[in-house]
Amino acid sequence: MNEVKKMVSTSELDSGFKSDVLAHTDARGLNACFSCGTCSAGCPIHEVFPDYSPKKLAKMVRLGMKKEVLSSPYIWYCATCRNCVEHCPQNVKFFDILNVLKNMAAKEGYAPAAWVEQTKHVGETGIVFAAEDNWIKKREVLFLRPLKAYAEKVRKIIEKTGITKIKPRVNSK
Amino acid sequence: MNKYALFLGCTTPVKVPQYELASRWVCEYFGIELIDFEEFTCCGINQLNLSIEAGLLMAAMNLALAEAKGLDILTLCAACTGALAEAIEKLKDETTRNSVNEKLRDVGLEYKGKTKVRHISRVLYEEIGTEKIKREIKKDLSALRVAPHYGCHYLRPKSAFENFEEPDNPRTLHGLISATGAQPVEYETLNLCCGGKVFPVSEDLSRALVQKKLDSLANKEVDAMVLQCQTCYLMYSDQQKEINKEYDNQYSLPVILYPQLLGFALGADPVKDLALNLHNISPEKILSKVI
Repeated sequence: MNEVKKMVSTSELDSGFKSDVLAHTDARGLNACFSCGTCSAGCPIHEVFPDYSPKKLAKMVRLGMKKEVLSSPYIWYCATCRNCVEHCPQNVKFFDILNVLKNMAAKEGYAPAAWVEQTKHVGETGIVFAAEDNWIKKREVLFLRPLKAYAEKVRKIIEKTGITKIKPRVNSK
Repeated sequence: MNKYALFLGCTTPVKVPQYELASRWVCEYFGIELIDFEEFTCCGINQLNLSIEAGLLMAAMNLALAEAKGLDILTLCAACTGALAEAIEKLKDETTRNSVNEKLRDVGLEYKGKTKVRHISRVLYEEIGTEKIKREIKKDLSALRVAPHYGCHYLRPKSAFENFEEPDNPRTLHGLISATGAQPVEYETLNLCCGGKVFPVSEDLSRALVQKKLDSLANKEVDAMVLQCQTCYLMYSDQQKEINKEYDNQYSLPVILYPQLLGFALGADPVKDLALNLHNISPEKILSKVI
């Protein structure tokens, strides 16, 4: 932790990154951020793993550190608790900005395998799990109605968004 | 309106069916009619990670299915509740709604913005009410000290829930627990997230959150945690077991779902109606404190 980090070199920054992010309506709060750090202060993940910091990520986006942000495994560490959204004095909605970043990262080949796999299951069973005999047995014991995998409609609507074409990040779990 | 489209979500029906069983029993007890929908799918919350558009479409599709039958949705999972409620907020914008409906038309659906989403606890709190619940209680649970855990998506963002709860100081589950006669215990990490949504990406991070809450409950003389979301349940139950493998079995906190506690207090059969026998850490000891 004591090593000096690489300097931010302006020549390596992508000046268009911030506007690409802001182009998504869910990320429009980014310009209102004044880096107060309320998001990080209330973030449960930041507390157990300080390297994950919403404030830091927001700043990196505004600087144009595209490659560092999109390739970072940390952007996938959000627990989705929405504390950052609830407490932000500027209504930045960091959670929503992070989803925009994750969507961009996914298109660039950085999606964690777990989310890609869940999406595949949704297209097959309608839910995030593959069909298993275990489901049936567990429910039969409790006399609960049988479940039917139903994915026809959902498959049709999500295919057009391109989500089913997303490939998992190489070397990710 | 005491009739709802039952939205089971992905995890409850296949991994925590005891939550479904107890919820159905409690709803039947109070005359809340639940209609099953075979066409419901995942709410879309995890798909937001890869495509905000796909996640919103999935939520809208489910909302449209319920709306076509003129029903509001009753959820069991906090995350489904949040995902659907946030989608409803987004779909209030006409441009967004039109663009979503254009895609839903391909599968013969349209969302007009009528269907609402209500978590089972909210329905019990608002429509049945704690006074009525109290009058129906058959067992004396007053010796039980339980720690409520709300689930992030039941609370935040509060704008999606008509300000139903105060996320920094939530009270509805406390009230529902008190109505059964059990004592809700106050504790420091009440609002700490279970980590369930980061589990697929980092098991270590999610377990760190679980352990933090378990530690903060260690000296509170708590008999059980009471939850209202199956993902939170899996974290505090199954992951408690995993953490124990590394930490010399130091944790032994029973974890149950609110409808199980309520059903038990109302006189339901603990095994047949509530499947209280299906837990990792047996709640038997706590139930023996009940008269």
